Amino acid sequence: MHRTRWLAGMAVLAIVAALALLAGCAKEEGAIRIGLQGPMTGDYAYEGDGFQKAVKMLVDQTNAAGGIHGKKVQLVVEDDAGDPTQSALVAQRLVDAGVVAVIGAYNSTATEPASQIYNEAGILHITPSSTAVRLTQKGFPRFFRVCFVDDRQGLFAVRFLKEVMGATRVGILHDNSTYAQGLALEARRAADKQGLEISFYDAINPADKDFTPILTRIGASRLDAVFFTGYHSQAGLLMKQSRELGLPVRWIAGDACNNPIMIEIAGKANAAGNYVVTEPLPKDLDYPEARKFIADYTARYGEAPASTWTLMAGEAFNVIRHALQQTGSTEPKVLAEYLHASLQNLNGLSGPILGFDAKGDRLGTIHVGYRIDENGQFALSQQQPTQ
Amino acid sequence: MQLVQQLVNGITIGSFYALVALGYTMVYGVLKLINFAHGDLFMWGAYLGLTAVLALVSAGIAGSPWLIVPIGALVIVAIAMLGVLVERVAYRPLRSAGRLPPIISALGVAFILQSLARNIFGASWRTFPPGIALPGGITLAEGVRLGWMQLIVLAVAGVLMAALYLFVQRTRIGTAMRAVSLDPTVARLMGIDVDRIIAIVFLIGPGLGGIGGLIVGLYYGSFDFTLGWTFGLKAFIAAILGGIGNIPGAMLGGMLLGVVETLASGYISPQWKDVIAYAALILILILRPTGLLGERVGAKV
Repeated sequence: MHRTRWLAGMAVLAIVAALALLAGCAKEEGAIRIGLQGPMTGDYAYEGDGFQKAVKMLVDQTNAAGGIHGKKVQLVVEDDAGDPTQSALVAQRLVDAGVVAVIGAYNSTATEPASQIYNEAGILHITPSSTAVRLTQKGFPRFFRVCFVDDRQGLFAVRFLKEVMGATRVGILHDNSTYAQGLALEARRAADKQGLEISFYDAINPADKDFTPILTRIGASRLDAVFFTGYHSQAGLLMKQSRELGLPVRWIAGDACNNPIMIEIAGKANAAGNYVVTEPLPKDLDYPEARKFIADYTARYGEAPASTWTLMAGEAFNVIRHALQQTGSTEPKVLAEYLHASLQNLNGLSGPILGFDAKGDRLGTIHVGYRIDENGQFALSQQQPTQ
Repeated sequence: MQLVQQLVNGITIGSFYALVALGYTMVYGVLKLINFAHGDLFMWGAYLGLTAVLALVSAGIAGSPWLIVPIGALVIVAIAMLGVLVERVAYRPLRSAGRLPPIISALGVAFILQSLARNIFGASWRTFPPGIALPGGITLAEGVRLGWMQLIVLAVAGVLMAALYLFVQRTRIGTAMRAVSLDPTVARLMGIDVDRIIAIVFLIGPGLGGIGGLIVGLYYGSFDFTLGWTFGLKAFIAAILGGIGNIPGAMLGGMLLGVVETLASGYISPQWKDVIAYAALILILILRPTGLLGERVGAKV
């Protein structure tokens, strides 16, 4: 009995010592450490994987070209699983790891608690993809985003519904996440202003698999289009199940649905004829920077980046790299001041980055509408609404 | 007409809950153990089925919905064996250790199975290729549609549940199971091989769970490694609601939970579904602490 206890104690000690050694080895002296947090597991793992691939590639390219002012860049990756609790934990770990700047998180629900922690720690924080309006309304001076905010997306979706789809009986469905609820509210507000009547407004529980109860009610309400503001997995299931119930309703989904997983989940036939409004997909970005990024990515990973957010994660890294190069500083405060005040017309992967406003939001907007065609591909809609 | 469609929706969801609840209730009935690993055995059924389907597709044999019959048989056998293995390794050594250690061991097995699935099959959603699940269905009336897959789900669930009920009530092994459930010590004195009976319970329960996982995976078309957790929790609640340890109770509990949830999300809002369903559950348990069909067991002297 005593002997086994003693052995167990020694084993635990050995493991702790080994872990400490590993942690010690990982730190490279003199390197600029940049953090990446995203959903490497969970519902949004597809996007987290893209984040990691894109940023790793750019970090390797930067280091191969001699680093930034002679210093290597070291990437520290943490998995938040898209979960707000986990997000706060990994944010603290990145702070403890001594990062200068952080790219992430993917979803607004995870970005919100992390932004608080990075703000208190005085770290530069750029989200590639969290579009909820409220994130930049807290007055955090070192928080930025390279994506566009949901009030503009909501307005764009409403115009698309009205001008392109010609919808008259419209519903809005969200999933109670920070992002989806915010986008749904913005869309409803925009619809009021644009004179489009919203006859149905409700939320699903994204942990469910079966949405037939609410779909049956949507069918009975005789809606001709529903704007779903949630994420791609549930969008796929909604499209599939609404066709299986034989509903004539057309779906339009927001920019958390601009990836092929949604079409795979729905099935090509069920997805066809539905719409997505989003920042343009990588394939439709006709800028030399974007084409080079896509070519390098394809050469390295054997497939082109299908999601906009993969490219946007690269965009966030490029903005940080640009600020480091231009200022010659690794002080987050100096970097943030540069982004707020001096950055103008940087040639980005997703088009020119005009600059950032005082809240940290990217100026301008580039939303487009896609129709899913019979082959299960996102086809740029022939007709686009007025911006 | 909306009501009829909603009842169809609810019974479909309910039959999934019922199918999974059977596994909880059988194990509890015999061992008084809540087998928290059951939901994850169910999830493994979905992954094994998907792996078999993908293997057939890459071998060029695909496209016929009938293929699901041999695949289903394979999944039942594989998950049943996995269930027996779990019992042998994680529960049997703890059988005399009181009630808490086996429950913790079961939770441990659940987490191990879930993490294994994530590491082997990946964290993202996996999708069944088209052509396996039968598309289409019949329109019964204006606004009431019954999918072929829904019919298959109802038929398979109904047949399996009836077969299980008859097996437990009418066969020698079933009688032995009920004897072990009443009192394992006395059953052993009567010449029943208790270990063998428990092994059979762990063949049947997980086997049914495995086929349930395959059907759920096919019906919804896509799933991830958390499938077992969500369905397992609901099915566990259904088993308690119907009276845990009672086979018709598991069916009734599953159907009732499915229909109540559906009516709550269909007529009020999915946001209120859980509030309403669980308020009803608490009310039923207050009125009948042993569940709808549970028997009141007097204290043994």
